[in-house]
Amino acid sequence: MKKIINAPEQYTDDMLRGIYAAHPDCVKYTAGDLRCYCTANKKPGKVAIITGGGTGHLPLFLGYVGEGMLDGCAVGGVFQSPSAEQIFNVTKEVEAGAGVLYLYGNYTGDIMNFDMAAEMCELEDIPTRSIVGADDVLSSPSVETRRGVAGIFFLYKCAGAAADQMKSLDEVLAVAQKAKDRTRTVGFALSPCIIPEVGKPNFQLESNEMAMGMGIHGEPGVWNGPLKTANELAKESLDILLKDMPIPQGDEVALLINGLGATSLEELYILSGAVSSLLQEKGIRIYRTFVGEFATSMEMAGASISLFHLDEELKALLDAPAHTPFYTQR
Amino acid sequence: MQEITIDMLPQLFESVAAVMEEHSERLCEMDAQMGDGDLGLTMKKGFGALPDLLRESDEPDLGKRIAKAGLKMSSVVPSTMGTLMASGLMAAGKSLTGKTAIGPEELAQFLAAFAEGIQKRGKCQPGDRTVLDAIAPAAQAADSAAKQPGASLSSVAQAALQGAAQGVEATRNMTPKFGKAAVFASRAQEMVDQGAVVGQLMILGFVNYISNQ
Repeated sequence: MKKIINAPEQYTDDMLRGIYAAHPDCVKYTAGDLRCYCTANKKPGKVAIITGGGTGHLPLFLGYVGEGMLDGCAVGGVFQSPSAEQIFNVTKEVEAGAGVLYLYGNYTGDIMNFDMAAEMCELEDIPTRSIVGADDVLSSPSVETRRGVAGIFFLYKCAGAAADQMKSLDEVLAVAQKAKDRTRTVGFALSPCIIPEVGKPNFQLESNEMAMGMGIHGEPGVWNGPLKTANELAKESLDILLKDMPIPQGDEVALLINGLGATSLEELYILSGAVSSLLQEKGIRIYRTFVGEFATSMEMAGASISLFHLDEELKALLDAPAHTPFYTQR
Repeated sequence: MQEITIDMLPQLFESVAAVMEEHSERLCEMDAQMGDGDLGLTMKKGFGALPDLLRESDEPDLGKRIAKAGLKMSSVVPSTMGTLMASGLMAAGKSLTGKTAIGPEELAQFLAAFAEGIQKRGKCQPGDRTVLDAIAPAAQAADSAAKQPGASLSSVAQAALQGAAQGVEATRNMTPKFGKAAVFASRAQEMVDQGAVVGQLMILGFVNYISNQ
């Protein structure tokens, strides 16, 4: 293992110290716990949106806490759920009188802890609603059991904008649900990552091999085999995405090409170009393209492709201003 | 003893912690046959932390204090069993919100809500060979006992313990559906479920406290 760290067990907290030091205008922590990550600019009367999840996916999950997006994030250890108590502490700090939306990825541990926190909120008369991102098409045939990956960015952006426009809790939930219903992702890995406290790779791939459908924690995919070209990967991924969520000719999408951590921007743009051409051939219009790192798996190599089927409401929310340490929209 | 007030909660759970400590090794041995082998340690740690969590709380409401301590307990022992017991406590506490003391009826209510909390969090049913198979029959027995004329805290607690003991025995013939135990399903035959034993031990802790006062 070759990582710039002080000690494996300090990985998460040292990372957080760095973020607080770099972005004091945007974020702070509460309850004396670095892992209770909150906006520094609470807006009274606004629905608070809180996320949470394990460390190792920056900018997910905490990276989208800031103006126009999320209000807080409970941070777990590497690939671990935050505790219910941490989620509850974040909730108490950021809720601003209009209720709370829990918006996070579809993982068992996170669900248990967010549900427990929601029960505590009920005791304190804080209204909550919950919705999980579940965009990873290849993780399961059923949407109910799909994992949440990079596509959650679109849920954050649109629900965040709706909350920022002072919409009610149920309206914000409806926006998140609509964005969820219209977002799909396919991902593939080229090399594994190393959990600092484990010290060795979480799976093995031969030097010429890749894994289609692998999850952002190294969950097995649908096939392992020889590396394909960018054009081949774009075609295979797009076929899967559009089979799962057909998009009529002439409709508009936002395209998100996400790097898993160790894949260069050059490669991401090669992939993006390939996907764009295919979409054009199919008569699907690209309203906006996002290329970069949104949901990583530390130093895993690979990428994911997300499609977000837009309508006028979602376009306006996508274009609304936002400012967080990891994402700015003018 | 007529009732348990908010100031007595730490002692009530000290009694539970003592029982968990006493049976810690046995729980670990049972668990090692089926899973991680750390069940006794996590229950000792989780219930061991509860008295102080209750004592240090500034929550004035009895039910809410139990619920909040349950939430904190889930941070102390984030394992599946820790989460389930914490969820039970949270639900039980929630059901007692507004009450000033635990009497016979409230104890029955506590156990019924505890069972519901576990069932909801663990998405398990009676008969799935889990802790629920001790708590659910205990709650039923407690409910019947609480409706008897002249019911006391002690009679309800004793009935619950008997219900839990019968429930634990019944797990011998149940097939596990969850966790590592499901992988070793064939080994589970003839043995009682270690999770159910934890439920029985918690109630034993209640009985010890109530009968010693």
